Amino acid sequence: MEKKNMVYLNTTTIRIWHWLNALGIITLCLSGAQIRFPEYITLLGSYKSVILLHNTAGYVVTVSLFIWFIYYTFVTRTLAKLYVPTMDDLKKGVIKQVIYYFFNFFLGRGENPHHPTPDSKFNAMQKSAYLAVMVGLMPLVCVTGILLTNVEPVRQYIVEMGGLKILVSLHFLVGSSLCAFLFTHMYLSTLGHSPMAHIVTMWTGWEEEVEGHGSSTDSH
Amino acid sequence: MPSTKKSRFLQLCIIVMLFAVPVSGYSMDDDDCLGCHGDEDSVAANLFIDQVSYGVTDHAELGCTGCHEGISDEHPDDGLIPALVVCADCHEDIMEEYQAGTHSDHAKCGDCHNPHRAFGFADVCCADMNDQCAGCHDAEDIYKAHNEWLPQTKLHLAMLPCISCHTDSECQMVVWYIVKDTNVAKIADFEFVEYGELEKLAMGKTVQSLIDLDDDDFISKAEMKVFNQNPKYKSFRLQGRLSSECASHTLTTLDNRWDCCFCHCSGPESMQKSVVALPTEIDTFERIEVEDGAVLSILNNSPDFYIIGSTRSFLLNIIGLLIICGGLALPVGHGFLRFLTRKNRLGKEE
Repeated sequence: MEKKNMVYLNTTTIRIWHWLNALGIITLCLSGAQIRFPEYITLLGSYKSVILLHNTAGYVVTVSLFIWFIYYTFVTRTLAKLYVPTMDDLKKGVIKQVIYYFFNFFLGRGENPHHPTPDSKFNAMQKSAYLAVMVGLMPLVCVTGILLTNVEPVRQYIVEMGGLKILVSLHFLVGSSLCAFLFTHMYLSTLGHSPMAHIVTMWTGWEEEVEGHGSSTDSH
Repeated sequence: MPSTKKSRFLQLCIIVMLFAVPVSGYSMDDDDCLGCHGDEDSVAANLFIDQVSYGVTDHAELGCTGCHEGISDEHPDDGLIPALVVCADCHEDIMEEYQAGTHSDHAKCGDCHNPHRAFGFADVCCADMNDQCAGCHDAEDIYKAHNEWLPQTKLHLAMLPCISCHTDSECQMVVWYIVKDTNVAKIADFEFVEYGELEKLAMGKTVQSLIDLDDDDFISKAEMKVFNQNPKYKSFRLQGRLSSECASHTLTTLDNRWDCCFCHCSGPESMQKSVVALPTEIDTFERIEVEDGAVLSILNNSPDFYIIGSTRSFLLNIIGLLIICGGLALPVGHGFLRFLTRKNRLGKEE
């Protein structure tokens, strides 16, 4: 008989942050698509309402990013440990994960090389991806978005940075990248010992670790 | 008739012709009028006429007395106040259109238009157009009224001539003006560059040649790029304003302007046409046609013009789509192989 250990991986703060952030980013992707292609997409109502929705969701996600940063940096002080990949992660960890996801997983042999614990929630691939998203793409999309909602007072700064078109292009391309990440992230979250395992973990906070199976890791 | 009587009669006729004809047919010519009205020291400020700018208007072709009838050569010593000019005598259609709206209850032609600087729609800068509205409409009231429903109110009011929404024109175009960095503060307004400054910059050539390099009255995308990237013009740049292609005197808020889609959902096809408006010596603007599609080009046009929804770049759309497809490649590819190899994991996945 399998013995199931329950590991508390995600605190309430993190779970609230995650789902709020998820809702915000999905809203931003949909409303952003309508703002760019208004003659083809009318999913979220009038143009004025979709602008309002996009701006509101943008500010919510920006505040959410601050909360994430403050929480991990000053409250739990685990930002570097959880999110910054070590040299060992980059040299070996990423390769191990790639071999597992793209080879062993299909053959049905071997276990996920990473077992999440509260001190090491993410595998090497996750660390690299999340670091790029949370420290690179998210701040970039938030800053460009805030500038775009306040063009007049900062027009000269915008011009010095390359102009409005460059700013909009950057916002669009980073937004597209986050949308691409969202698809990958959602799919990888189904690669636990059951398709819903990681999603349930992010909802309840508890990860079910099945002895003999190991636990895969795209819960965040 | 005896010869003496005949000669006396001829003498009388000559005398009558010499005195009577000038008295009945003489009236002031434009030089007489402008002798006083073109001199700031001779007349009050509201009666002064700038001869240079007046001289190029269509009204100048009519001459002063073409509009100001009944002014005697004794003016102003005769003490008579000249009769008011009736614009409708010539502009009957415009007057009819204007009087159908509510503006006619509050403002006469002269309250908005200076007949001695009556230029065509294309000769006037959008800021000048808005000044006419600002004569009656307080800036704060305008902001408050628009802010009740219009997102990015300050941006819209700063970058659009009022008539973009308040006149009956279905077609819009982008007008590029040369603006300069004031260098006073980072957070400052950009200023329209005046003719004199551009003339100095042109160093003996025409102002037009600063952008229209081959002086063919047509600005290609390549010429726009050269101007935008020329380090000599670092503090200058082209700033686009969305403007109506034509103007009417139906000065109401047209129903379709309440809908943001009028401008933002019209698609890149609507953003093909643009012109560069260059200042002239007489404080008017001269428009030069720009190659179609310059507004949409990321690299060639001014970096400081963008209308969300309508000026999107096709190339960027493709790149964005490829990025999103890249994100879908893993779920689709991995998911497909996962489905095909599901038997290998039987008993492992719950």
